Amino acid sequence: MQKKIKSLISQSYMRWIQFLKQHQLTCMLVIGLLTFCACGNKVTRVPIPIKVQSEIDIDTYSNFAVLPFVSEKSSTKLGELPVEIGSEIAAILRGRLARQKHFEVVNKQETARIMTGEVVEEGWLANTERLSELGRYFEVKGIIVGSYRFFTDTRPRRYYGERYSVRQQRYIMDYQDYMEKTYQLLLRVVIIDVDTEKIIWDEAYLQKTAEAHSIGSFVFSQMAPQETTLRELSRRAASEFTRDISPHYEQEDRFLIR
Amino acid sequence: MKQTYNKIHIISFFLTLTLVGCASHDVTRVEDYNQFAIKAAQAGLWNEAIFRWKQAVTIDPDNAAAHNNLGVGYEALGKITEAVSAYQRATELDPDSKYYRINYRRCRLHIRRSGTDSEEILSESSEELMGN
Repeated sequence: MQKKIKSLISQSYMRWIQFLKQHQLTCMLVIGLLTFCACGNKVTRVPIPIKVQSEIDIDTYSNFAVLPFVSEKSSTKLGELPVEIGSEIAAILRGRLARQKHFEVVNKQETARIMTGEVVEEGWLANTERLSELGRYFEVKGIIVGSYRFFTDTRPRRYYGERYSVRQQRYIMDYQDYMEKTYQLLLRVVIIDVDTEKIIWDEAYLQKTAEAHSIGSFVFSQMAPQETTLRELSRRAASEFTRDISPHYEQEDRFLIR
Repeated sequence: MKQTYNKIHIISFFLTLTLVGCASHDVTRVEDYNQFAIKAAQAGLWNEAIFRWKQAVTIDPDNAAAHNNLGVGYEALGKITEAVSAYQRATELDPDSKYYRINYRRCRLHIRRSGTDSEEILSESSEELMGN
């Protein structure tokens, strides 16, 4: 009986060996595929909300006054932009900050009242004493000032694509030349501590937007008013600044293991 | 005598089967809880996911994956102290897993970034680690 069992086992073992030798490649592929499937499903990546703290001390700097922004002298488009655009940028920033529960902002009317007879100039940005004095009038902890530089950069571009050629009865490679006009806004935002008369925040935010033009539309775009583009870019820059100085949530990945 | 031996063999065989069955049943339950919790987490139901991972940890306290996942759940809900201890347990149970270490490192980095209160958590956790 035992001999029979032993012979049966050895026979089946030999058969398995033969089978494996015959289908070596298939077996390896199956094992590889199984391993790959098992490994592939092991880890799951999930995004979790992460609270990011403000980059300034929001307990100390909870109320601000925003002064009108000044245009930098080196700006090439200075002549074409209306002067009140600086006040508009300040209003946009004021609106963004007022939406945050951590901050109180002096409103537009109050700012205009206190600033009556004063014109903010580029030189003011370095004069922290004067700005702090203004801040005391406003009764705030921090005063926000800044400058903007709005400029355009135009470059010829070539777009490669395919078009159907009727003569050759097939798609052929073709290109088209156009002008890419990039509007850029460099918004510098400075926060001054009214008590210590020191700069606590000084960052520049660059925002861009581009549009494609033919020669004809490019000429028209040069003459067209650009305030709308500037306002849009200001909104983006103001959002970026507000995000930096207020606590917010960001997504970060973590790994879950099956 | 021989019959008694046979009986003992049969009984022990069934006992082994039962034990193996029970053990594998527990493993399956832990895996089921984990799978369900992961699906809940992917859907943003973190409380449900944490509940399941807690059950998994109760059944198998040495399951590093469950501890790690529990840590992720706690972190998603902002319970940083619990998250740190769960990550620590996972890395202790399986120090070779790079994913546990990545999660733990990211959590610590987040604590450092978030401010002074969290420094206490980090120092507490490192003291605990030293104690272990």
